[in-house]
Amino acid sequence: MYNLNKKIAPYLFISPFFIGYTVFFLVPVIQSLRLSFFRHVGVNAEAQFIGFGNYVRLFTRDSLFIKSIVNTSYYALGSILLIVPLALLLALALHRPGLKFREFFRLFFFTPNITSGVVVGIIFGLVFEEQYGLINNLLLAPLGVEPVRWLRDPNWVMPSIILLGIWKYTGLNALYFLVGLQNVPPSLNEAARMDGANRWQVFRYVTLPMLRPIIAFVLTFAIIGSYNLFAEPVTLVGEAGGPRNAGLTMTMYLYNRGFRELKMGYASAIGYSLALIILLLTVIQLVITRAFRDD
Amino acid sequence: MSARFRWFLIIIMFFSTSTSLAQELELWTFAGTHARWFREQAERYQAEVNPDFSLNVVEISGDDMHDRLRISLQSGGAGAPDLADVEQGQFGSFLRGGGDPGFVPLNEFLNSGGYTDKLVAAREMLYTYEGVTYGIEHALTPVVLYYRADIWEGAGVDPQAFVTWDDFIAGARVVREQHPDAVALPVDVNLPGLLLRQRGADFFDAEGNVTIDSELSVDTMNWILELMDEGIAAQMPDGDATWAAFKNGTQIAMVAADWYGGWFKDNAPELAGKWKAAPLPAWEPGGIRTSVRGGTGLTVIQSSSHVDEAMKFMEFAMLSEEGNVRRFELTTLFPPFIPAMSNERLHFPDEYFSGQDLGALFADVGPSVPAQYQSPYRTQLNDLRDAAWQDLMDGRRSAQDVFSEIATIIRDEMDF
Repeated sequence: MYNLNKKIAPYLFISPFFIGYTVFFLVPVIQSLRLSFFRHVGVNAEAQFIGFGNYVRLFTRDSLFIKSIVNTSYYALGSILLIVPLALLLALALHRPGLKFREFFRLFFFTPNITSGVVVGIIFGLVFEEQYGLINNLLLAPLGVEPVRWLRDPNWVMPSIILLGIWKYTGLNALYFLVGLQNVPPSLNEAARMDGANRWQVFRYVTLPMLRPIIAFVLTFAIIGSYNLFAEPVTLVGEAGGPRNAGLTMTMYLYNRGFRELKMGYASAIGYSLALIILLLTVIQLVITRAFRDD
Repeated sequence: MSARFRWFLIIIMFFSTSTSLAQELELWTFAGTHARWFREQAERYQAEVNPDFSLNVVEISGDDMHDRLRISLQSGGAGAPDLADVEQGQFGSFLRGGGDPGFVPLNEFLNSGGYTDKLVAAREMLYTYEGVTYGIEHALTPVVLYYRADIWEGAGVDPQAFVTWDDFIAGARVVREQHPDAVALPVDVNLPGLLLRQRGADFFDAEGNVTIDSELSVDTMNWILELMDEGIAAQMPDGDATWAAFKNGTQIAMVAADWYGGWFKDNAPELAGKWKAAPLPAWEPGGIRTSVRGGTGLTVIQSSSHVDEAMKFMEFAMLSEEGNVRRFELTTLFPPFIPAMSNERLHFPDEYFSGQDLGALFADVGPSVPAQYQSPYRTQLNDLRDAAWQDLMDGRRSAQDVFSEIATIIRDEMDF
């Protein structure tokens, strides 16, 4: 009896996680894979097997789905090319020895990240408003710049969302980089200096290579986060994604099809396509940043 | 069984019985005006009918509330309320797949209570699919022309005298001589459909066919675009900014339904005493002087464990003369419940509307309110229209082009 208990006990102790994981994650994941091969529309509807029908329609006839991939990739590129370098610059500034109010700045740049996406979306709606908004009236008007139609011109919708993303996510990513910078041994910098490297060379040939694991981490999460973008564009430009669906992201499209039009099979197919795209991009990115290389 | 454990059980039993005695029901709504009225009706129901009844009125913003309701119903009613307001434009999407939407069918209840003939049939059509009615309408939603009396009358124009839209345009030109920036016809996404219904058509017909690309529909949109070119009409700012445009006197009129009167009071209280309302100008002399816009039906959720009590409360509030009259007094929603229409309490000088008797105006145009038909594809059509709207407003795409494209997509969707 004692021995049996001893054998079972450890499994019992770790079982809550696995039970929760199975019920709330594994089962829905498998169930939705199954559902993606069915036509399932409506509240109390019967599912009807259609094989790859949902996927075929998605990639061959659904221009809105393609549009949502393009939009989301636009945001992902913006976030990688703007937010990540800005975050690195910010981290370098915060890392300077002798910086006053360091704790204040860290908190200052981190706060946007813990603000709910919905709240941010609503506030930025007022910031970007064409006639009465903050940017056009307080920033651009004094400079004599014509009002920008942030949320009404399809070409400006995604830049607006990227601006919002910069405000919200730069601080968090800077914090990751800051941790990385703190882990670069000062002796390496000193050694490089002694050998006659200037500040740029120290950064390029010492600091940056040492940051590679952090860069890979930040990029991976930037890609995953970008392709999961939802709350901010929904509140900023509405569920349809604003003019010409310029702000329609893939998760918004999934949500619209699944929960607004109740096409559960089709939405499941979108979900699996989304997962595949993220997986593919992440692998490409990891190969580029050579994260798999043995050091 | 230890003594302590027994006491624990007794306490648990005590709490479970005490909660089952008091009936707390939950109701979801997205309109602050409705919530106000529901809360008052719940107090009245508790005092007059069932002292154990209590109603938790939960206010959730429009799109969000309907999404949450759809998700709850889809998952078998998990987390769903007992009663829910469903906006008519959103109602169609609950019918996707032609299945059971998860609301309690009301036909038998309405027939046995003798209510079927007491409700305006055209309004109930919105919540009826394949002969089954799932909701009771809050408002007749007759559309009128709200206008800033101080500005129009100050320029020597009386909108009460307008007969046709041509009179309206002529009047607006006069006002704009004094107020060059004034917008006489604020344009939002709902205006084309509303004006189209005044002309006797809609985006879907009675058989459920999509008709947004009809000649009349395109013509109506083009009429709006021409007025925009002249400056008489202009696109409304989005969200709360539109109230700024009313408050600073840029938008001097609004073509809107009865419920918009309540919105004016809630969102622009400082304009009290400056507004009035007139019948909608007609498309030709003798034509219909109103339209319909919006509307919301109260539904009972199938999975509720208090269906009977919910139905009784619904009957008490929605299908009584007192409830309907009180709703008008609180929110300016004109009753779709025929016995309440002649109640003299609907007639009172409304301070906000310069002492005007709005009830008399709604009762006057009410009988000619056109019908609107439900379709499972309306939510999707609205999404497509919203995405193309800015191109239409900016003149980058023609009405013909946009409406044909939307119709093609919806027809394709119906086939899939």
